[in-house]
Amino acid sequence: MIVQELIFYAFSLVMVFAAVAVITVRNPVYAVLFLVLAFFSAAAIWMLLEAEFLAIILVVVYVGAVMVLFLFVVMMLDINLVPLKEGFIRYLPVAAIVAVAMAIELLMVLWSRGRFGVDMFPVPPPHSADYSNTRELGELLYSNYLLPFEVAGVVLLVAIIAAVALTLRTRPGIKVQNPSVQVRTRRDASVRLVKMKSEKPRGA
Amino acid sequence: MFEMIESVFNWIQSQYLIWTVLKIVVIVLPLITAVAFYTYFERKVIGSMQIRVGPNRVGPLGLIQPFADVFKLLLKEIVLPTNANRFLFVTAPVIALAPAFAAWAVVPFNDFLVLADVDAGLLYVLALTSLGVYGIIIAGWASNSKYAFLGAMRAAAQAVSYEIAMGFALVGVLILAGSMNLREIVLAQQGGIFDWYWLPLFPLFVIYMISGLAETNRAPFDMAEGESEIVAGFHVEYSGAAFAVFFLAEYANMILISGLTAIMFAGGWLSPFEGWPVIGDTFLGQGSIIWFLAKTVIFMFMFLWYRATWPRYRYDQIMRLGWKVLIPITLVWVMLSALMTVLGIVVKGS
Amino acid sequence: MLAQYLPILIFLCISTVIGIALVVIGGLLGPTRPDSEKLSPYECGFEAFEDTRTKFDVRYYLIAILFIIFDLEITFFLPWALALDTLGMFGIVAMFVFLAELVIGYIVIWKRGALEWE
Repeated sequence: MIVQELIFYAFSLVMVFAAVAVITVRNPVYAVLFLVLAFFSAAAIWMLLEAEFLAIILVVVYVGAVMVLFLFVVMMLDINLVPLKEGFIRYLPVAAIVAVAMAIELLMVLWSRGRFGVDMFPVPPPHSADYSNTRELGELLYSNYLLPFEVAGVVLLVAIIAAVALTLRTRPGIKVQNPSVQVRTRRDASVRLVKMKSEKPRGA
Repeated sequence: MFEMIESVFNWIQSQYLIWTVLKIVVIVLPLITAVAFYTYFERKVIGSMQIRVGPNRVGPLGLIQPFADVFKLLLKEIVLPTNANRFLFVTAPVIALAPAFAAWAVVPFNDFLVLADVDAGLLYVLALTSLGVYGIIIAGWASNSKYAFLGAMRAAAQAVSYEIAMGFALVGVLILAGSMNLREIVLAQQGGIFDWYWLPLFPLFVIYMISGLAETNRAPFDMAEGESEIVAGFHVEYSGAAFAVFFLAEYANMILISGLTAIMFAGGWLSPFEGWPVIGDTFLGQGSIIWFLAKTVIFMFMFLWYRATWPRYRYDQIMRLGWKVLIPITLVWVMLSALMTVLGIVVKGS
Repeated sequence: MLAQYLPILIFLCISTVIGIALVVIGGLLGPTRPDSEKLSPYECGFEAFEDTRTKFDVRYYLIAILFIIFDLEITFFLPWALALDTLGMFGIVAMFVFLAELVIGYIVIWKRGALEWE
């Protein structure tokens, strides 16, 4: 189990370092890449908690999808580096309040379960060999928690419509290919055969 | 003497780390060799499809050609363009290569030969393929060249679009197999060639191969490279060993997709003749690693075949195929296969 | 369970090391003779017209956003597919409702022309 603790501390260190780097590096692309690193370490720590489905989904969704969008935006928006830094001091008080509030909330959660210490949090019984994290999740999610699941579907639907409404701009005067029309073209629509008499050669 | 060997063996086995590293080397070394010869194979195959001979100068039949290529690339200068982001420029190929290799950790070569027999193998593979985009985007951005950037953006948008179809195709496999463990997915396909999932999931099988092509940026979806328009896409500025690593990653990915296709849809290491009269009783009816490798090679060959056969798609055509054709088909077929399972039309192998 | 994931971690480390090693070996073996022409960004022999990092078509963002949403849908499908044998017909109906919501969104983006690449 010493290995497990070593890995935990290694990834925690990397994660804290990466999280600090996200807000301190000058280059926004580096910031996004550090955020990727932070997510990756978080996934590893979740894995240590034997939450394999959540851990890998964190990589698939956040690293594989959300961060790609961030990179797109940061790389293509041509952000000027200097003005980004200016707000740092100005927003510091607000940020500090938010941070303290979050810390208090975390402490309250811990307090409500009793004080700190390993004995306050009993070790869950080990799972049997054929235990599948994902299957358990599926059995619960689609029976007991069916309503939240369907609501999540509606939220995603709203997200789709909002994304299209916010970003879609049709440019005028573009040429679009419509394959179904192309396939359905008839010969008569574009070809016309004209009967004509053969011309006599000149001078004959 | 024998006791000594045995004690050495026991010692190695007790040294978990050494043992694992050895196993990994046993996977990686053949993989790198396979990549080297895959390039040779590609040039020979496409050569004969275009009625040429292909490489035939270095060594007998040109067999030493891949090694000549490797040494040439290693001995060339790595050009770091001005205004390029040096650190990201050299890390991008490493980021592209690592997932292409590491995905092999969960690939079962036969019933017991698998490095990490994890429960969520399929999910892990899905996660690693989604990381492949990073190498491309970072390379394109770090090069600070317009061609590279354009190629990277195209490649990223394309890879991302086809990942959806690929994911849904894998959901189909999951429904029938009832497990995310790749070994159990293969075992669920037990029986002859007609019990493998290519038959009940035929549309998903085809879509998986198509999206595999698009994910690896191979012809006819090699818009990212598009020699005739954006020169070489995201790796225009790369040379020498840095380029070689990108090359290695691309081909390792192709081999990986071939291997995964064999596992998901073609019964992995199982024999196609299993349970057949006469032939099923001979050694041909036995599942073994040879079957797995043979199937992988067949799918690898198909990658080359496509390249020699089809002209390159236009970018808007690629996006339309991904979003408007493949995704609806996968959605319909996923629901159909769920119905098939629940109604007991397709029964899981013993 | 964790013991199964340790080789994966080791494999990830080793494959990263292989990549770094190859680049480093190439850097050591190859010559380094830079000159300003060689190092200039490749643009078919022209001088570069403008900075590379310019604004890009918004369509790329849209594709990325849609990808996130569809990726989430896939993650919802995975546990469902595993638990299907215990959920039975009930699970299928549940997923049909979910899928119907997705399909409405899909039809919207199709009709609005968001999937059209110009």
